Amino acid sequence: MIEYRIKVARPLKNIFTDAWVWRMALRDARHNFSRLFLFAASLITGIAAVVAIGSINYSIQRDLDKNAKELLGADLVINSSKKIDSNLLKLLDSTNTEKAFDADMASMVLFLHNQQSRLIKLTALKGNFPFYGKLETKPANAYALMKSGKFALLDESLATQYEVSTNDSIKVGNTIFKVAGVVTKIPGGGGFTSTISPSVYISMDVLDSTGLVQFGSRVGYSLYLKTKEADTQAIIDKLEPTLKKLNYTFETVKSRKEGLGDALKSVYQFFALLAFMALLLGCIGVASAVHIYAKEKREEVALLRCIGSSGWQAFNIYFIQVFCVGLLGSAIGSALGIAIQQVIPIVFNDFIPAQLQFSLSWEALLEGLLLGSIISVLFTILPLISVRFVPPLSTLRAEVKQVKVVSKTRMVAILLIVLFPVLAAAYQTQSIVTGALFSIGLAVVLAGLYGIGALLLYLSRRFFPHHAAFTFRHALSNLFRPNNQTRVLVVAIGLGAFILATLNIIQNSLLNQVEFQGGKNQSNTILFDIQPKQKEGVLQLIKGTGLPMNQVVPMVTCRLAEVKGKSVETILNDSTDKRPEWAVSREYRVTYRDSLTKPETLLEGKLQRFEKGQKDSVFVTISEAMHETLEVNLGDSLVFDIQGVPIKTFISGIRKVEWSSDPPNFIFVFPSGVLENAPQIWVATTRIEDAVVSSKFQQQLVTRFSNVSLVDLRLILNTVNKLFSKVAVAIRFLSMFSIITGMIVLAGTVSNSKFVRMKEYVLLRTIGARTKQISAITLIEYAYLGFFAAMAGVVLSLGAGWLLTFFFFKIQFSVNAAELLLVTLGVISLTVVIGWLNSRSVISTPPLQVLRKEA
Amino acid sequence: MNDIVLKAEALTKTYTSAERQLTVLDEVSFEVAQGNTLSIIGPSGSGKTTLLGLCAGLDVPSSGIISLMGLKLNAMSEDDRAYVRNQYVGFVFQNFQLLQTLTALENVMVPLELRGEKNITVKAQHLLDRVGLGGRFNHYPSQLSGGEQQRVALARAFITSPKILFADEPTGNLDGENAALIEELLFGMNREEKTTLVLVTHNLELAAKTERVLRMKGGKLVEDSITALP
Repeated sequence: MIEYRIKVARPLKNIFTDAWVWRMALRDARHNFSRLFLFAASLITGIAAVVAIGSINYSIQRDLDKNAKELLGADLVINSSKKIDSNLLKLLDSTNTEKAFDADMASMVLFLHNQQSRLIKLTALKGNFPFYGKLETKPANAYALMKSGKFALLDESLATQYEVSTNDSIKVGNTIFKVAGVVTKIPGGGGFTSTISPSVYISMDVLDSTGLVQFGSRVGYSLYLKTKEADTQAIIDKLEPTLKKLNYTFETVKSRKEGLGDALKSVYQFFALLAFMALLLGCIGVASAVHIYAKEKREEVALLRCIGSSGWQAFNIYFIQVFCVGLLGSAIGSALGIAIQQVIPIVFNDFIPAQLQFSLSWEALLEGLLLGSIISVLFTILPLISVRFVPPLSTLRAEVKQVKVVSKTRMVAILLIVLFPVLAAAYQTQSIVTGALFSIGLAVVLAGLYGIGALLLYLSRRFFPHHAAFTFRHALSNLFRPNNQTRVLVVAIGLGAFILATLNIIQNSLLNQVEFQGGKNQSNTILFDIQPKQKEGVLQLIKGTGLPMNQVVPMVTCRLAEVKGKSVETILNDSTDKRPEWAVSREYRVTYRDSLTKPETLLEGKLQRFEKGQKDSVFVTISEAMHETLEVNLGDSLVFDIQGVPIKTFISGIRKVEWSSDPPNFIFVFPSGVLENAPQIWVATTRIEDAVVSSKFQQQLVTRFSNVSLVDLRLILNTVNKLFSKVAVAIRFLSMFSIITGMIVLAGTVSNSKFVRMKEYVLLRTIGARTKQISAITLIEYAYLGFFAAMAGVVLSLGAGWLLTFFFFKIQFSVNAAELLLVTLGVISLTVVIGWLNSRSVISTPPLQVLRKEA
Repeated sequence: MNDIVLKAEALTKTYTSAERQLTVLDEVSFEVAQGNTLSIIGPSGSGKTTLLGLCAGLDVPSSGIISLMGLKLNAMSEDDRAYVRNQYVGFVFQNFQLLQTLTALENVMVPLELRGEKNITVKAQHLLDRVGLGGRFNHYPSQLSGGEQQRVALARAFITSPKILFADEPTGNLDGENAALIEELLFGMNREEKTTLVLVTHNLELAAKTERVLRMKGGKLVEDSITALP
């Protein structure tokens, strides 16, 4: 019996102690650097986007801490819908505080130089507001001038839109003001606020002269207080019982910072996830490029295994290469992210208060590097792991098949890859639920793109155009070339197309919604704050202009005093009562009538008329949502405080209201005969088709009834459009990162399949193809690729758009086919250009050079 | 018994393809003593290359035993077999199998570097000098002709002073002149190093230059003969 030795004393070295693998990695990289760098490039754009957004977030958070007081302009702000109570002011006299006041309300403004008018937010200021930060104006002395008399300041956007210059005159209410200048920066202002409702600022001393503050006018009053920092809480404690009693609210620097922080966090989360999407696309690019790279290294690995390298040594050689290049890509991406951060204010200014500035964030830079390193490990291990199992026998027989080995490393890598998007997105958004939902959503989108792409490719093969011209047939066949990564490219480019197309569908649906609501015979112009004595005059003006009178509705302001026999005070003080404070303590605007309007449907109960002389016979109807919020049902009692007069009512019906349809709509509707003598204002609605008629009508209205405000739904449409355009610019900006990543993946794939292409082209030339034909084949191939990617993206966006409009926005789904076609053509063109730029050298390589290389 | 470098006992290799078992090597047994030269010949598909692969530990048999320097290869892991190859085995392939991204000198040094040896450049340069490539140390494979590439492969094979050298059709891709030069170098260096040589070839003239010839047919060893060397 012969005894064999089966053990060898093989020295075991790890990646850090084995100098040979590092030497081999460096030697091998000399010839592969450009190719290796291409895969790193897939990372650059994603890392750049994540770092840029992250850096903005860090710098905003830092700035928010530093400039928190400037965001409020004071230490404490007290808000009320009534003039600040004199008792409260007396109470404040005993404290060491400085005071400033503002009153704001919606009003019409008439620009006298061009006779145009617009609904604005009128802000009347008194005192040295702001106490912190600066109200910046152009010219610099305009604020001081405004305080001195009948001068007005305009938001810069408003002045630009209506071409108003300093010294022009505007009419607000009954008063003509001279324009002192424009406001460029104001604590708490700017951004979206000025887009939705641009402001005109005047001195509070002249507010009464405008005649706008009348009964029923909706005016918001604010009292700004400057305190010694240590005293703020003590003052709040002192004032709180009075504030509660008066139904006043207050805001501190801390609450403003938290509120703004939360709002900005949501904006950040959204954009961070969009940037992260580009990064994940880059990860797919990295994995795909390394997969091809590892495949091509098979022969070399077989030889190394033959002459004594272990599987791990072979793996380490290529892992070192991809990791180092990945790290380089991350460093470049991070640096690019910081550079982009300098451009981003232009794109994101509308989302960020003017007080906040951007600065370089080292945390974001380090995060970018760390993220890049993790990706360089995670997304390269899986494709590279196969290198460990390349059979050395392939040196003798090229056709030897690699046995599929289930290795622990592979399993761990798969697990980590699945977890990575969840954990990274959770880290980005600081929410594991958001991270998980995002990952699931993204997985569905990627799977959808892959599925649609695969289906399109299958169909193109199944119904192959056998009778088409040679160039078209050959170009289509090229999509099925080994290592062509067609499906990965369809996913990578398709994701960019998907984002753009979905965005377009949402924008169209939102705009269509506004247009739809103002469409047909519905009102598109609402006149409110009509005083009872003005009612007839306004109605005559509407009729006299030849406009239809759609609705004339009375409106009474009131509050709840009791709900189901419990006083509002008791409810608010009862910590076990789950009804929200706002619903119980808010001001309600109610109307009275004995019928339903078009947007209303009676769900339960009935409309019950008021019977004179009968006690407890006031029956009101309530909207469905408020019946749930206030937890009241048919027959429950409600006591309303109508300008100091308590009126006990019972709920007789629950209405479903389509709020956006044909406004105004109401939460509570009283029966006729109860509120007729209560102080009230009127609202009228009409429909104006022509912009010129609308402009003339507004002029007459402002001149004759200066306190009556007019809401032009077309203006709202424009505002929605403007707002969405601002959001869209930011989203498009970030989705460009995804598109660019997709293009880099494309460039990488073209480069990776360069030699296969060269051989094909040489063969074609040898059998007589001209350069023109080869060029045509190349261009058509990329056009096909772009088409499949764009189609996958657009088809999926139709589904996603429908889901979003139906479930999230709850609006009608609307598609603009021409714009989607434009997205498709754009993606195709971009794909063709990138593909062509990367293929030029292949096409121009002389055949002999390739043949020699082959030999 | 100590002289035996390579021993094959009832080596069998079968593949399963489309539910059919294909036996490409059927119970092949033989021994090779230290310093012997041996050729494996036979028609295409006779199992020559499969036998070479098993002998070198590039693959494992379905049954039977293969031992190299007293080490039972089929009981070892892939990495252990790689280590054994690095310690005792040299290879020359028909298609040269040089690493395209390494220079000629670097290609030659790789096996010793894998052992972790230092100061090996001079030895590698000497071997390249020996094969007539003294002036081409820093040339890449793509800058060398086929004959030159095979000479680099020879230098790489001998740099570890292997106990046994496996050559698979070493002249199969070369023209007559280059083939003759490689033959001369292969046998010359083999004599100098006293290496055991196992050669797979179609070329009967080349086979005749070894001391012993194994003839394969249909996966079986059909003849084991001693050649009449001059």
